[in-house]
Amino acid sequence: MIEEKIPNPNGELIETEISMGTVHPAALEPYRVRFFVEDEIIQEAEITIGVNHRGVERIMEGLPVEKANALTEKICGICSNSHTWNSVLTAEKGLNIDIPERANYIRVIMGELERLHSHLLYLAHGCEVLGHETFSMRIFYIRETVMDLLHMIGGNRVQYGVSIIGGVRPRCELNEMRIQKVESGLDELEKNIVNFSERFTSDPIVNSRIEGVGYLPPKQARKLAVTGPSLRACGFNYDLRTEMPQYDDFDFNIISLDTCDVKANLLMRVLESFESIKIIRQAIKNLPKGPIADRNWEMFDCDFIKSYIEVPRGICYHSFALEDGRVRGSVIRTPSMANIAAMQYAAIGNHITDGQLCIVQCDPCFTCTDRAFEIIEL
Amino acid sequence: MVNITILYSIIIAILTLLVCFIIGMFLPGVEKKYVHARIQQRIGPPVTSVGIMAPIKFAFKENLDPRSPAPGLYKALPFISFLCILLVLLFITPQMYSVELLSSIIAIVGLLKVEEIAYVFMGALSKSVMSLSMKFPDLVKGASHTDTIRSHIEDISSKRSLRMISYGSFPLYLALFVPVVCSGSLYIGDIIKYQQVHGPFIFTTQGILAAFVFFIGYVILLNESPFNIIEAESDVIQGPYMEYMAKYRSVIYLTKGLLMFTLSALFTIFFLGISLNIFSWNILVFIIVSLLFTLFMGIFSAFTPVFTNRQFLPVVLLTTLIGVLAIVIGILI
Repeated sequence: MIEEKIPNPNGELIETEISMGTVHPAALEPYRVRFFVEDEIIQEAEITIGVNHRGVERIMEGLPVEKANALTEKICGICSNSHTWNSVLTAEKGLNIDIPERANYIRVIMGELERLHSHLLYLAHGCEVLGHETFSMRIFYIRETVMDLLHMIGGNRVQYGVSIIGGVRPRCELNEMRIQKVESGLDELEKNIVNFSERFTSDPIVNSRIEGVGYLPPKQARKLAVTGPSLRACGFNYDLRTEMPQYDDFDFNIISLDTCDVKANLLMRVLESFESIKIIRQAIKNLPKGPIADRNWEMFDCDFIKSYIEVPRGICYHSFALEDGRVRGSVIRTPSMANIAAMQYAAIGNHITDGQLCIVQCDPCFTCTDRAFEIIEL
Repeated sequence: MVNITILYSIIIAILTLLVCFIIGMFLPGVEKKYVHARIQQRIGPPVTSVGIMAPIKFAFKENLDPRSPAPGLYKALPFISFLCILLVLLFITPQMYSVELLSSIIAIVGLLKVEEIAYVFMGALSKSVMSLSMKFPDLVKGASHTDTIRSHIEDISSKRSLRMISYGSFPLYLALFVPVVCSGSLYIGDIIKYQQVHGPFIFTTQGILAAFVFFIGYVILLNESPFNIIEAESDVIQGPYMEYMAKYRSVIYLTKGLLMFTLSALFTIFFLGISLNIFSWNILVFIIVSLLFTLFMGIFSAFTPVFTNRQFLPVVLLTTLIGVLAIVIGILI
């Protein structure tokens, strides 16, 4: 097994360059990848991002913190809740706000529902890049249950705006009827995911397409600071949720696989979906009574506050300072930032048809990532 | 009298082509609507959408000149492909059996090869904006390799098409030669007569094996999933067709439908021994066979991911061996 993939030195042995993007149907978002190939085998890859930059941090600068929190939701269409949650957590940390237990549970429920929807979207996209339209459609069909639940609680399918400073929006209160719907939805979802995973893992042709493809050596994954499920697919048993106080009341397993390939990444999402369902069930069962928001907090200036949370793709970082109730020096770092850079290495040695698959295996979100940062080797 | 007979033959041949063309236009829609969509539990497009409405729509769209080094040839290629398939269909009509030179397997294989070669040229002559031509300042941003040959993604599909000519479409031609070996003649008329006396080939051991090989070759020649490596969306997007638009794209859609029917008609003639006569009930057999092929191909493609060389080569090798076995059995029996 290769321990480390080393790209060819400059100008040597590289025959042809194939550029894909910035617009390509295998990519959900615009980015540019240059594959350097020899007889359709990738010798090196270069990913260039930058066409999605919207300067959200710059827009946040000087905004009242409540508005800035709402704006963070627009960073990503898939993990919108995670960004708002982390931004709100940052503010709460700086302002020393303790939120009601019930609000935390609702945030966790929404966070896990979002993880489910993100993981299922990833699976569907992965199958699409594999050229398996039927599996892709099937996953989208399964995902609809999660989307309906998110819609029911947050009032929207994509941007639900759950977290506010001090708790959650009144709209997101979970009454008995909603709890029942969530429970029945989870039962249906679990059954469907089990059926799909059995079908998926037993398909020999699909397995032949994904086994050993996009191998990222653990040493390299660590070196390039890969995070989230992509890191756990390389054999590392690390999940930030185990360190987050918000998850203290919940019992769940950290899933890790050690094959470090596309199959491990796909299976990782399937297995993590079951853990998310487990967490939501616990949250619903033990949902505390009481208010869902604490409005009695006071605004004051505070220095830079940092907050890390585990979002569907890995560790998300938010940081800003508060001055007269307004945001100063906002910095956001998304997990795809590190993961995408690592996928350049994962693509090496694979057939060019699998090139996009190797990049997609880390569940990249380019719009999230375009934050004017540059990854350097640690 | 002779002139009238020739005139009738020409009219019947033209009518046959027209009927087959109309049937063929429905087949891609049947595949999308009644096979793929049903398997994927969705409603799917209208049955006329893919094969009929899309060509009509594209025929009236504005055309843009492609970025091609030989625009004239590039634009002519879809028409050449279409003409090749039309000629194959013409040569298998009973009216052409008297012209033995044309109604032979050599002419059919030759024309199908021309259709395949067209993909190579389409890919090689296409320089789309989807890859290199797109304005992106990556060369000035510290790229590690600046001295490589920069290639468009259609070039890959062109190279792949070349490989398909050499080995990809081999199963189909091998399967077509099984009835030739058994009947001892290269001419379609003789192959049909042989089957009318000895029964259809499909009911023999070598016929069953060859039919399986033919089906795999049919899917390969149609560039359908999982054998659509020359137009795999995950890398080469649409491959050779990338830059065709308006009427040229319309012709490509028509060619696809016509090819679907023509190949299934070849199967009916070579394996069931029925001649293509639109004025007899035989035409129903042709329609049923074409629908069955569409159905099987739809099911096959709906349940498999795109094959890369790692899957493609073993499948082609295996089907080729089965084809050779069928020929050997045909020679021995």
